[in-house]
Amino acid sequence: MDKHLIFYAMFIPSMVLFFWGLWFRVSLYLRGTLKGSEETTQWGKLIILLGRGWQGFWKRPLWYLKIVITDVIFHKKLFRESFYRWLTHTLLVVGFVATFVVDMIKGFTTGYLVEWSHSIPFFSFAHAFKTGSIRPFLDFFLEFFSFLILIGCILAMIRRFFIRPDQLRTEEEDIVTLVFILYMVASGFFIEGYRIAHPEVAANRVYMADFTPASANNWISFFGYFLSLFMKNITLNPHFLWYVHVIPCLVWFVYIPHSKLLHIFTSSVTVIADRANQKPHAKVQ
Amino acid sequence: MDLSKLSPKQLLEIDACTRCGDCLRFCPVYSQRTEEAINPRGKIQAMKKFLRGQYGLWARVFGKKKLDEAELEKFSEMAYRCTLCGECSVQCPVSIDSRSLWLAFKEILVELGHYPKNLGVMKKNVLAKYNISGDSNSSRTDWLDRFENLPPHRYQKDRAEVVYFVGCVSAYFPMAHKVPQSFLQILERSWVDFTLLGGEEWCCGFPLIGAGFKREIEGFIRHNIEGVKAKGARTVVFSCPSCYHTWQEHYHTDLNLFDSTQFVLNLIQKGKIRFQEERIKVTYHDPCDLGRQSGIYDAPRKILQSIPGVELVELAHHGEQSKCCGGGGLLEMVDPELSISLAREKIKEIEATGTNLVISACQQCTRTIQSTARRMKVPLKVMYITEFVLKHMQ
Repeated sequence: MDKHLIFYAMFIPSMVLFFWGLWFRVSLYLRGTLKGSEETTQWGKLIILLGRGWQGFWKRPLWYLKIVITDVIFHKKLFRESFYRWLTHTLLVVGFVATFVVDMIKGFTTGYLVEWSHSIPFFSFAHAFKTGSIRPFLDFFLEFFSFLILIGCILAMIRRFFIRPDQLRTEEEDIVTLVFILYMVASGFFIEGYRIAHPEVAANRVYMADFTPASANNWISFFGYFLSLFMKNITLNPHFLWYVHVIPCLVWFVYIPHSKLLHIFTSSVTVIADRANQKPHAKVQ
Repeated sequence: MDLSKLSPKQLLEIDACTRCGDCLRFCPVYSQRTEEAINPRGKIQAMKKFLRGQYGLWARVFGKKKLDEAELEKFSEMAYRCTLCGECSVQCPVSIDSRSLWLAFKEILVELGHYPKNLGVMKKNVLAKYNISGDSNSSRTDWLDRFENLPPHRYQKDRAEVVYFVGCVSAYFPMAHKVPQSFLQILERSWVDFTLLGGEEWCCGFPLIGAGFKREIEGFIRHNIEGVKAKGARTVVFSCPSCYHTWQEHYHTDLNLFDSTQFVLNLIQKGKIRFQEERIKVTYHDPCDLGRQSGIYDAPRKILQSIPGVELVELAHHGEQSKCCGGGGLLEMVDPELSISLAREKIKEIEATGTNLVISACQQCTRTIQSTARRMKVPLKVMYITEFVLKHMQ
């Protein structure tokens, strides 16, 4: 069966569950009292809050963008606290955000825009993303940012399981979260290594993506290429490999709203809200 | 469990806590009582557990779990052993406004009937007598009796430009009387047209908020604002940072509000206060409600630096990182021993500066540090900043 079909058959329900999970959390928050709108329904409160956020953002959009970059993505406060923690966090956040962005660009251009270019010539530039000069860079950045996630995850595990600072309490949830991330990235690289080691896998279009020429693998897919050196003599079912990577990735999405990973969203809100409401040091009148 | 005491943001903040434990390194209470449940992370996790039992996936499918009375009692014990110093809020990597959370948690606990009984007594006193001491509110200005040749109006004029809001601790606790006594003299010598509210000054409401009885404060807010406006004043000045912060945060008034340090600095800058020189080394303790809560760090330092000969030696933890003296958040009422142990730490920090004079801008801090220093038999002098200013005025 076509991998696209299988993928979307799993992806769509996963996304439904992911967004339902998010709404489940948000609906709890909306049970709280919103000053001045005590009698409003949950939807009413949501609209008011989104409206406030929207208006606030447009009062100083550049400032908000700056805060998202410096305080959310690059977590300035953590940098002052501990370089090790900052590096770990930044590798994970930047890795995930950038991988997501590059993947979206890649998916949109190589999928939709290329398709549309057949009827709208304006979009023909998208071919550069699919088979042209831009494509190797897209693949390289995907590899690079995924590699950052891997390093970040390993650093986080070293801190939690080996350095073990006094303040840290490791619970089941922490282990699940880290193992999940490590598994996702490691399995992704493993598949990539296997695909490079076994060119017939790409040739038979076992997976969804088109790939850059094998000759460029050593620099584009540098880590996958490195792993491939050890996989020449291993034979596995490539379909099975694909499932063991994709299914956990989708489960991970569903898990986010019910785990500490929810802080990806909640902590971003608390940090931005804090900076927006920060009191300046009182001036002498 | 009723969630109406929490705002949507606070409910989100409970989820935003990643249990990183940074707060543990800064919480002054946890440094003295190393129980997981007493630290900010522990309190948030406890609330998370209650919420999960009441509103989690399981609860929505199979019904709410009954709140365990023993767990609530334990949670109450931990929640009320907090100085509300707010350092956890400042240090939290994800900037959770935890101080507001603790206040909301206390409101929930009050609703559920789980709060220290002596705070119930305090509430009754405040509601009946309008002050925390339980004495008659007409004796609010007894501290004036120290002065000879008091004017007939006893500084309670019908009209004035400025109202000096003294606060309960300074008015009723003899150890803190020097605070209003010194500030009043500064105001008078600087020709400020001021008045006291006298028996018409009611508690600002801070003790009620701090204990979880926030819903009771409306009448106090209204009365105090009307009292100030009846004097024709547009400005209110406070020597109690908790009163100042409460007015700033909850009174929503168009009156101009100043802490005593801001007001005194203004007088200095206008040339109404001049100093005589004294070669002296001092340190300054930032009160939590003045610094972290109100953002006033510079004014007291500028005052000290404007006195010739005064050398200010900063504490190891100062400004935003200042350690609570143990006198905040009604901890003294709930667990005096714990409060004293925090004060001991503060005194050690002060001693490490090599000075034997500490200045603060909070009557509660000066009282707590002074009384603990006496217990410890440490020859430490503690002065409220206006006392120090008055001593050096020409």
